[in-house]
Amino acid sequence: MAATRARPQTREIFTTMEYGPVPESHACALAWLDTQDRHLGHYINGKWLKPEHRSSVPWQDPITGESLASCLQAQAEDVAVAVEAAKVAFENWSSLTGALRAQHLTRLAKMIQKHQRLLWTLESLATGRAVREIRDREVPLAQQLLQYHAGQAHTQEKALAGWEPVGVVGLILPATFSFLEMMWRICPALAMGCTVVALVPPASPTPLLLAQLAGELGSFPGILNVLSGPVSLGPVLASQPGVQKVAFCGAVEEGRSLRQTLAGGGAELALALGSESLLLLTDTADVDSAVEGIVDAAWSDRSLGGLRLLVQESVWDKTMRRLQARMRQLRAGRGLDGAVDMGARGAAAHDLAQCYVHEAQSQGAQVFQAGDVPTKNPFFPPTLISNLPPAAPCAQAEVPWPLVVASPFRIAKEALAMANGTPRGGSASVWSERLGQALELGYRLQVGTVWINAHGLSDPAVPTGGCKESGSSWHGGPDGFYEYLRPSTTPARLPYLSESLNYDTFGLAMPSTLPAGPETGPRPLPPYGLFVGGRFQAPGARSSRPIWDSYGSIHGYMAEGGAKDIRGAVEAAHQVAPGWVGQSPAARAALLWALAAALERRESTLAARLERQGVELKTAKVEVELSVGRLRAWGALQAQGHTLQAAGLQGPVLRLREPLGVLAIVCPDEWPLLAFVSLLAAALAYGNTLVMVPSGACPLPALEVCQDMATLFPAGLVNVVTGDRDHLTRCLVLHQDIQALWYFGSAQGSQFVEWASAGNLKSVWVNGGCRRAWDQEAEGAGPEFRLRAARTKALWLPMGD
Amino acid sequence: MCAHNPGTEFDLSWISNIQVNQPAVLRRAEQIQARRTVKKEWQAAWLLKAVTFIDLTTLSGDDTSSNIQRLCYKAKYPIREDLLKALNMHDKGITTAAVCVYPARVCDAVKALKAAGCNIPVASVATGFPAGQTHLKTRLEEIRLAVEDGATEIDVVINRTLVLTGQWEALYDEIRQFRKACGEAHLKTILATGELGCLTDVYKASMIAMMAGSDFIKTSTGKEAVNATFPVAIVMLRAIRDFFWETGNKVGFKPAGGIRTAKDSLAWLSLIKEELGNEWLKPELFRIGASSLLSDIERQIYHQVTGRYAAYHDLPMS
Repeated sequence: MAATRARPQTREIFTTMEYGPVPESHACALAWLDTQDRHLGHYINGKWLKPEHRSSVPWQDPITGESLASCLQAQAEDVAVAVEAAKVAFENWSSLTGALRAQHLTRLAKMIQKHQRLLWTLESLATGRAVREIRDREVPLAQQLLQYHAGQAHTQEKALAGWEPVGVVGLILPATFSFLEMMWRICPALAMGCTVVALVPPASPTPLLLAQLAGELGSFPGILNVLSGPVSLGPVLASQPGVQKVAFCGAVEEGRSLRQTLAGGGAELALALGSESLLLLTDTADVDSAVEGIVDAAWSDRSLGGLRLLVQESVWDKTMRRLQARMRQLRAGRGLDGAVDMGARGAAAHDLAQCYVHEAQSQGAQVFQAGDVPTKNPFFPPTLISNLPPAAPCAQAEVPWPLVVASPFRIAKEALAMANGTPRGGSASVWSERLGQALELGYRLQVGTVWINAHGLSDPAVPTGGCKESGSSWHGGPDGFYEYLRPSTTPARLPYLSESLNYDTFGLAMPSTLPAGPETGPRPLPPYGLFVGGRFQAPGARSSRPIWDSYGSIHGYMAEGGAKDIRGAVEAAHQVAPGWVGQSPAARAALLWALAAALERRESTLAARLERQGVELKTAKVEVELSVGRLRAWGALQAQGHTLQAAGLQGPVLRLREPLGVLAIVCPDEWPLLAFVSLLAAALAYGNTLVMVPSGACPLPALEVCQDMATLFPAGLVNVVTGDRDHLTRCLVLHQDIQALWYFGSAQGSQFVEWASAGNLKSVWVNGGCRRAWDQEAEGAGPEFRLRAARTKALWLPMGD
Repeated sequence: MCAHNPGTEFDLSWISNIQVNQPAVLRRAEQIQARRTVKKEWQAAWLLKAVTFIDLTTLSGDDTSSNIQRLCYKAKYPIREDLLKALNMHDKGITTAAVCVYPARVCDAVKALKAAGCNIPVASVATGFPAGQTHLKTRLEEIRLAVEDGATEIDVVINRTLVLTGQWEALYDEIRQFRKACGEAHLKTILATGELGCLTDVYKASMIAMMAGSDFIKTSTGKEAVNATFPVAIVMLRAIRDFFWETGNKVGFKPAGGIRTAKDSLAWLSLIKEELGNEWLKPELFRIGASSLLSDIERQIYHQVTGRYAAYHDLPMS
């Protein structure tokens, strides 16, 4: 009888056929914590750093409440120590050959392999996510990432000649994240020769473990330093001298405020924001497989956020029935259980989801919850919300984990409008068995990643990023490592912060134009208008300001553009955009070449205009000649994407280079014609439509070019607005429907542009008040332009029948 | 066995708009094996459950009455009595679900099972197994003879030619005739999915077989190059679920070929549980066609009970 009492359950389970617990032992994670006496500090320069007199935060098991360790909170001095270590390490690390760096990264990959169990149990314990996802997907992916980037480092000298590592990279991670977010960023940074200081929230031990593993390789201890501390230390990290790049991933609002705080700080900011994804299910889809896609997206602990689901009306009932049946089969539980689909993400995530559900319910939405889920906090069941009125406040908000918000659509065009009608642009999947339809949707969705008939795939070779408010930084693939490189000709970035700059008043007022005194000397040129919508128009302010030549007499007048003119120009640019995007590269090239020919015909006039502004005639002629060359060169460039191959995927991944949209360009004062033409040509070659502000001191050559554009170009393709640079810059950067802005002007202007771009998080390129040598190929037409003039989209096309 | 599936009228609209995305199904198949697992007592219970689903099979040219007899005895006593006792499962009457043999060996099997004093059903393959490339008349006759000999379940193979050339109605008619020839015996229709063109055809063939009144649909004969795979199973299970939602009739599922380890069998059980639910986890609706699986399960049970790994000679052969 003893035997039967010892095993009372088998009989019962034989009847019920229930699942049982599959606990994954986390003894090794606890043993690792014991090596630190359950007291975690920071890992800097290959050593644990546990400074005295710091506050510490307790780390508890979110489910059992068991106290696991205490975590020190860093202070500003600790940040300085970490950055100093990274700076010192950078000297050695960046001067290594790529091949040696590759070897070191390979060693790190092996190190991770040796300690993978510790890694996955610790990560699951800390984040509460299902250990299965971390063990089977993330840890192998982390190793692949190191391998892939080691390969890139190996060929760096050849493949990336003309680029050099930016320097020390600051990495700021949000309260909830997967350790992969860190791997995606440190791998390219380290491979390219940068060193990293990561600021992680307290109670996230995995980054510390990774840093320890890297540190214990011995040779280059300071390349990866991890501090644990509050996000509020982010600006401190970013403003340390030597930090050249700051990468942040997290919530949109945090990113926005970081963008404002870091304006003018010198370090370039790379944002990857938000976590919502989108799934678009058409009536030709394999609905059952699409339902699995929904599970992958929302309820498998693969993604950090929720899902917006668009379902074609004709298959709505079919989809909902299958989805609800599938939801009943989901299991949630402790992340360290090997047989659960999803774990728990802590009380904050639970409350966020609860709050969204309550609000949706009060707005009249239907809520369906199912699955085998423990009822106590912080577990939250898989949730499907439907019938949420589009005008409800929470319908605009980001969908949190683990929610799916479903809405019907009638036709694909409507789905596209709904999908593109949010400020977010992260990732989306399209489910359709009709190739033509799937491709059209894939190309037209405004997001960084599109999967066709799949969801949530990733690979080290494929760039991942976003557009719109999801931020414009990239990880993975070629785009990932350019984030940590700068052209060798560009000097290290220095802060151009002006404490006295008043954001509220910068460029606010349009200067009044008064009569400028007697018109002496040669007769001034007849006044130009603003070049908007393909023709010259009178400015809204109905005033023009004089342009003085180098002899002090009036050369001509330029129209004083203002906010209304910018509005008109942006509208015109948007109108022409669909047609221009659809043009083949050859058709774009033909237009650029036609403009080049027109410029050649106008050479003497242009040179004369430049000469009157004080440019030597010989130099003026060179400037015109170079401008013609730039137009031809950008025209000849076939601005196209290419195909990538992801591991384990049958079929290609297309790396598309899509236009940014309406691009605003504020041109520099130096090289008034050449800079204008160089920027215009690069931007047009990639299919952007433009609103340009020419040199304030010498706008006449640019306006001269507009006369040719008026006859050659589709109306609205290039709009040129003259006037007060600060005022126009303000109007442009505060315009929410401009997708990107390039600013070549003053330091203060640059700072303002960075600060104000937080509004719609448009991608900006500012010169920080530094002049560029526009006549030099590298600075006036280099590969940097190619990177900046388009955004990447990864389009996954799995194949098979 | 539950009541027969009466089938439905032939209706092409059930299959004409079907889309199966192969890469997505492959991904699901990979996941399902990684996302569920059972340990300890649960594993023991699940493995014993798996035993009750086995159609213990021998389909060899050299089958004789002596090895059929051995097989039948093993079907009656699949797990060593002392192991079952240790698990307190000895009074649950655990046997395999059926024995499965060639038509000419049905008599031997019926006799052996009778001698062993049990009522385990005898299943016979039929209709020109495994290729199905004989005349319809002889295929039907084969079914009738096997039923006469005492087989209560008939595993028929479909005519792949009809699938590959898209003659769905002809396929429906043939299976209808098989159904009629079976009389009271249960009809298990083998789709030989390894020889169908694509997963969409697997779905369509499944649906036609169910419309025509199959009580089970079965993946493969065990003689094709590709046998029971997870992707194919997922598609067939989705068809079973759709048929159930449409008509209220539950049709059984039988993977066969290539299922050899205890671990495999657990994955199949959880696949059924995930896709169709616990209702399908009974021998009336789920079978595993296998010959060597049983001995691996018995070894696992041995380990579960004793904490040691068994040598082959520790367990009786089948």
